[in-house]
Amino acid sequence: MTGLAVDIVGLTKAFGGLTAVDDVTIQVPPRRIHGILGPNGAGKTTVLNMVSGFIQADSGRIDVFGQDVTRMQPFQIARRGVARTYQNIRLFPGLTVLETVVAGAYMQRSSTIAGAILMSPTERRERREMRERAAELLEKVGCRAPHSALAETLSYGDQRRVEIARALATNPKVLLLDEPTAGMNDVESEEVGRLLVELRELGLTLILIEHNMRLVEEFCETVSVMNSGALLAEGAPTWCLEQDEVKEAYFGKRSDAARIATLRRARRGPGGS
Amino acid sequence: MSTTAWMITLQFAGVNALFALAIYASLWTGVLSLAPVFFGAVSAFTFGYVAGTLGLSPFLGLLLGAALGAGLGALTAGLLIRLDSHYLAMATIAMVLIGRVLILNLPEYTGGATGTLVPGDLGTWAWLIGTLVVAAYVMARLAGSRFGLAADAVREDPAVAETLAISPRRIQFIGMIISGALGGVAGILQSSFLQYIGPDTFYTHLGFVTLAAVVLGGAFHWLGPIVGAIVFTILPELLREPMGEYDRVVTGVLLVLIIIYMPRGLVDVRRLRMVRSRWWRPKGGGAEPDGPDPRDPQPTVRAEVAS
Ligand SMILES: Nc1ncnc2c1ncn2[C@@H]1O[C@H](COP(=O)(O)OP(=O)(O)OP(=O)(O)O)[C@@H](O)[C@H]1O
Ligand SMILES: [Mg+2]
Repeated sequence: MTGLAVDIVGLTKAFGGLTAVDDVTIQVPPRRIHGILGPNGAGKTTVLNMVSGFIQADSGRIDVFGQDVTRMQPFQIARRGVARTYQNIRLFPGLTVLETVVAGAYMQRSSTIAGAILMSPTERRERREMRERAAELLEKVGCRAPHSALAETLSYGDQRRVEIARALATNPKVLLLDEPTAGMNDVESEEVGRLLVELRELGLTLILIEHNMRLVEEFCETVSVMNSGALLAEGAPTWCLEQDEVKEAYFGKRSDAARIATLRRARRGPGGS
Repeated sequence: MSTTAWMITLQFAGVNALFALAIYASLWTGVLSLAPVFFGAVSAFTFGYVAGTLGLSPFLGLLLGAALGAGLGALTAGLLIRLDSHYLAMATIAMVLIGRVLILNLPEYTGGATGTLVPGDLGTWAWLIGTLVVAAYVMARLAGSRFGLAADAVREDPAVAETLAISPRRIQFIGMIISGALGGVAGILQSSFLQYIGPDTFYTHLGFVTLAAVVLGGAFHWLGPIVGAIVFTILPELLREPMGEYDRVVTGVLLVLIIIYMPRGLVDVRRLRMVRSRWWRPKGGGAEPDGPDPRDPQPTVRAEVAS
């Protein structure tokens, strides 16, 4: 037992000839907001995909609260308290905002087929509680769209918020966020940052991939910087961003970090993969 | 058409609606399966045999069909759910083909190529409508339930559903059992209306007609298969007199047009919701940030009723 929330050791994944993640070790204690940084194609999303069980690691090991989840199926990992959002938003077509969040609460419910058909008092109560809880979560993430709207028709910002609410509905201990502020303006990004802190206060461990450096410096306690699949640096965000290797990986030879960071952020469209 | 002919057509529309609902039940969980036709065949021939040798009250006959179908559904799911979607669909088509071979080769039980007689006690409007109402009620209740939302999630994106702690296999297993029960009941009613069943009664034609009914009616809401089955059974009959032999061409063209222009079928809740979202925000200003209660006042009602 290491006491870590997420313990990634020597993680490696190759796609054909390309080693997308190369011997990466990331250790995150409970109640930490940890950032994963790196230029496009660095392998950040691939790391999250392996933690959530989306893809299988070639080698290495992932522990969540002391339990080895490396070879588990995604739903088993989810049942151990890992939830996530997606870089290219993945909402369920046809479902409303409220339904989407209630769908995330699957394991929080005890309703049975028979109970649903007979509409037992327990079933009624559970459905009401689920709707109330979903409404609370939507409020918490700051989604103000009508609950009966189709989730897929909302603005990018609201779609990302609904995704976060859906992930929170699983009642996770670890929340993985893949570029949660892509497509949001500064005010909205700042709101997401405050949400992260609020969630941390509630006991969650948060790992996020983020390109907005201002947000990272303000809200992440530690970061891991990746490039071409390998880990470049880890530690406090400000310190990491000052390392020469990091600057070079991010911005080429020039080191006018602030200017290019702004440029990058402006260029990043929402939902790019 | 004469009134009797109309009555018969409508009765088959009703039975087809049950079969279509059976196909819908597994499609709801992302599994395309024609197995309900096989389930229907097994139930119908078992019903014919048991009723012929032991005698069976109508109600018990229906229960037998549901139980047999559900059991076969579970068995089929246990064997086939691991397959990828199109291989699974092929395997269920193979089941329908194998069913016919079995019927032909078990003449002591099925009557072989000549077929067998089935009592017609259940072949009445009351039983048909009663069964259809119960089936529709069950599907409607399941729509907003824990299972229903999980089924929606698994159909739309199984990988994401898994990260919500939903096991797609389990949901698809349940869907197959429901599909089996509905298929079994549909088979019993079909045979009761016909009173004579043979190797071709539950064959590919029935499978394709009912699958077309689901596609036409809409595979995203329980009302879709029922509407689709009724339209798709009645339309050819309506067209037969004015069009003569071309009725099939017209139904075929109609099906293609609907697939192109209404890909989600006649009953399309998603489109209704889109239209309604536009009505909700006619000024295009997004949601009102500081209203007294920005929430939609209706989710309570809707979440229970719709899928
Ligand atoms: N399923 C896959 N099959 C093949 N190659 C993949 C797959 N997923 C990712 N890759 C490749 O692995 C590398 C790392 O991709 P990844 O998505 O992890 O990068 P990233 O750091 O998230 O980048 P971005 O900032 O653009 O999202 C890329 O070169 C990508 O093309
Ligand atoms: Mg990525």
